Amino acid sequence: MSSIGTGYDLSASQFSPDGRVFQVEYAVKALDNSGTVIALKGKEGVVFAVEKLVTSKLYEPGANRRIFTIDRHVGMAVCGLIADARQIVDIARREAANYRSQYGVPIPLKYLNDRVSMYMHAYTLYSAVRPYGCSVILSGYDITDGPAMFLIDPSGVSYGYHGCAVGKAKQAAKTEIEKLKLTDMPTQDLVKEAAKIIYLVHDELKDKNFELELSWVSKETNGDHQRVPDNVFVEAEKSAKQAMDAESDSEPEEV
Amino acid sequence: MDYVNDWMNAAESTGTSIMAAEFADGVIIGADSRTTTGAYIANRVTDKLTKVTDHIYCCRSGSAADTQAIADVVSYHLNFHAMELGEQPLVETGAAVFRELCYNYRDSLMAGILVAGWDRKKGGQVYSIPIGGMCVRQAVSIGGSGSSYVYGYVDANYKTGMSKEECVNFVINTLSLAMARDGSSGGVVRIGVITSEGVERRVVLGTELPKFYEG
Amino acid sequence: MATVLAPPVSESGFSFENCKRNAELIKKGFPAPKATKTGTTIVGIIYRDGVILGADTRATEDTTVSDKNCMKIHYLAPNMYCCGAGTAADTEKTNAMIASQLELHRLNTNRIVPVATANQMLKQYLFRYQGYIGAALILGGVDNTGPHIYSIYPHGSTDKLPYTTMGSGSLAAMAVFESRWHKDLSEEEGKQLVRDAIAAGIFNDLGSGSNVDLCIIRKGSVDFLRTYDEANKKGVRQASYRYPKGTTAILTTKTKNIVVEELSVRQIEAMDVSS
Repeated sequence: MSSIGTGYDLSASQFSPDGRVFQVEYAVKALDNSGTVIALKGKEGVVFAVEKLVTSKLYEPGANRRIFTIDRHVGMAVCGLIADARQIVDIARREAANYRSQYGVPIPLKYLNDRVSMYMHAYTLYSAVRPYGCSVILSGYDITDGPAMFLIDPSGVSYGYHGCAVGKAKQAAKTEIEKLKLTDMPTQDLVKEAAKIIYLVHDELKDKNFELELSWVSKETNGDHQRVPDNVFVEAEKSAKQAMDAESDSEPEEV
Repeated sequence: MDYVNDWMNAAESTGTSIMAAEFADGVIIGADSRTTTGAYIANRVTDKLTKVTDHIYCCRSGSAADTQAIADVVSYHLNFHAMELGEQPLVETGAAVFRELCYNYRDSLMAGILVAGWDRKKGGQVYSIPIGGMCVRQAVSIGGSGSSYVYGYVDANYKTGMSKEECVNFVINTLSLAMARDGSSGGVVRIGVITSEGVERRVVLGTELPKFYEG
Repeated sequence: MATVLAPPVSESGFSFENCKRNAELIKKGFPAPKATKTGTTIVGIIYRDGVILGADTRATEDTTVSDKNCMKIHYLAPNMYCCGAGTAADTEKTNAMIASQLELHRLNTNRIVPVATANQMLKQYLFRYQGYIGAALILGGVDNTGPHIYSIYPHGSTDKLPYTTMGSGSLAAMAVFESRWHKDLSEEEGKQLVRDAIAAGIFNDLGSGSNVDLCIIRKGSVDFLRTYDEANKKGVRQASYRYPKGTTAILTTKTKNIVVEELSVRQIEAMDVSS
């Protein structure tokens, strides 16, 4: 990283001679230090799973959650600088509430995604600000349109996905997600698969402790975004751990 | 002596009979065609069924200036919103925008509006926004000065899930009765049929209106 | 700082400075001055090839006729004219202002401005002032979509009609239209119908009088017929009532000569135009 920027990386408002904005690229790097976040979209819902790294045993469980509810029908999972992300959560919530009061109906996810993307993109244009050091995933469910999910980059670019992963182990997670047949998977199975992947990609050597976070928004929840109920969570975590054990039994440990 | 009598000061207003009703495939909207300034009929062929978007119409009653201005503003707003959204706005959304204006400016507006239309989520819908800016969904709604005469008729004859022609006849009958009893309603009956296909407009001339007891 | 060279810019919008004066006058028992209103008959119709606008020419201040031959058909754009009833100052200024905006719009777009555009601008302007601008208008014109007539009320409501009347004489004029208008009028029939409608206003409404002005707008051409008809021709005197010369007798005559006290001639030097 030492000399590539050479003066062109001091401000988000300046291009490098080969047409890059270094500040934005650096912001993307901030994601690599964050715990893995995955999102899976199935037949009738979207599931979030987050590997929330716990850096000290002194923290209370459930502190600094990485999954948020934006509006009744919209969830957001975040990756990167948590303080930056919370600001995005705040503006997304305002945007959703505003839409509800102005138009009398829940905000369409596509429209919320456009607004939040535009907001994040605005922070890549001026010298007085720095880009957001976070990516966010939006999820939602609509009776007529079914489930939807979008991932927004620090650059303000966003795409709709069937399954996506960001954070430390995003490559490994993506490989795992690609093995799944997501389009017609029921939501209950999505939860288990998501939990499994988080356990699988967690690097026990580098990061000792982590808390699993799971949430869903689906037909079964009446289109509401919520953390998965305790019994479903326990079940998913159990089957994830079993899968890990089975794998370590069958495959000889690499040296 | 004052030659310039009330036509200068009396606001053009739609002492009106308007109506909207849900049926099996959408909504039927209807209105009389009389516009008055004081006791003078300023327009006997008015169209009080005003387009807002391709699938949302409003029936206007009250001050003509106020309701035309509101309809223009809402139309602008919703069409802009449709572009942002990339699809047609919901009728509920249309009603919310009307309500917002009617409520915020309730002290300076004289407007009773029925918002009706079709969207892919809830099909045909009718929302009533009376003076004061309340907004409520109803399967069938009537408005304007002529409506007071026909509440009983509507309650007695409206059925959910009517066929198109059945519902059109129901609306024509209701408006004819209202126009016969209300002095500030009259002229022709204008009809709009809003379904997933779009809008179909019809006119029933004053001479073709159904006749009821006239004794 | 205000100087002779840079006078202060007057504030825009309504001036209320006369309100206090008027209140003072009323308190002392004098009537406050009234605005000139065109108690009026104005009309507009669509005929086979375009539109015809018509107006009378009487302006009144209370019961006094303040102008016997005023113009109530105003220019808006090459393809649009607009009749005004109500407060004369308001109709004139409103039309002038919208005309300038339409001209800029025409120059910017390099197209014939649609009549609907003028209608929208006028209604939004009048609605903004909530009826305090007392302009009741009939807007007529021809654009690429055909001929159009709009009536526009002071509060900002508008109606799009094939024929319409406005002003205090509107009832008389409408009676003429309701009995004789049809949608395939020729130009001659149209002119006659509009003349008759205005004449009905002139003869039956106290607020309307004097002459008939017409304006015929076709696709690509306009005929503005100022004083198309004098509805009330003054009668010709049967005899001369002048006194013959010498009727008054001359009793004495006295002539006084002008005394020249000084005479001076100033020579004007020719201007230097060399170099």
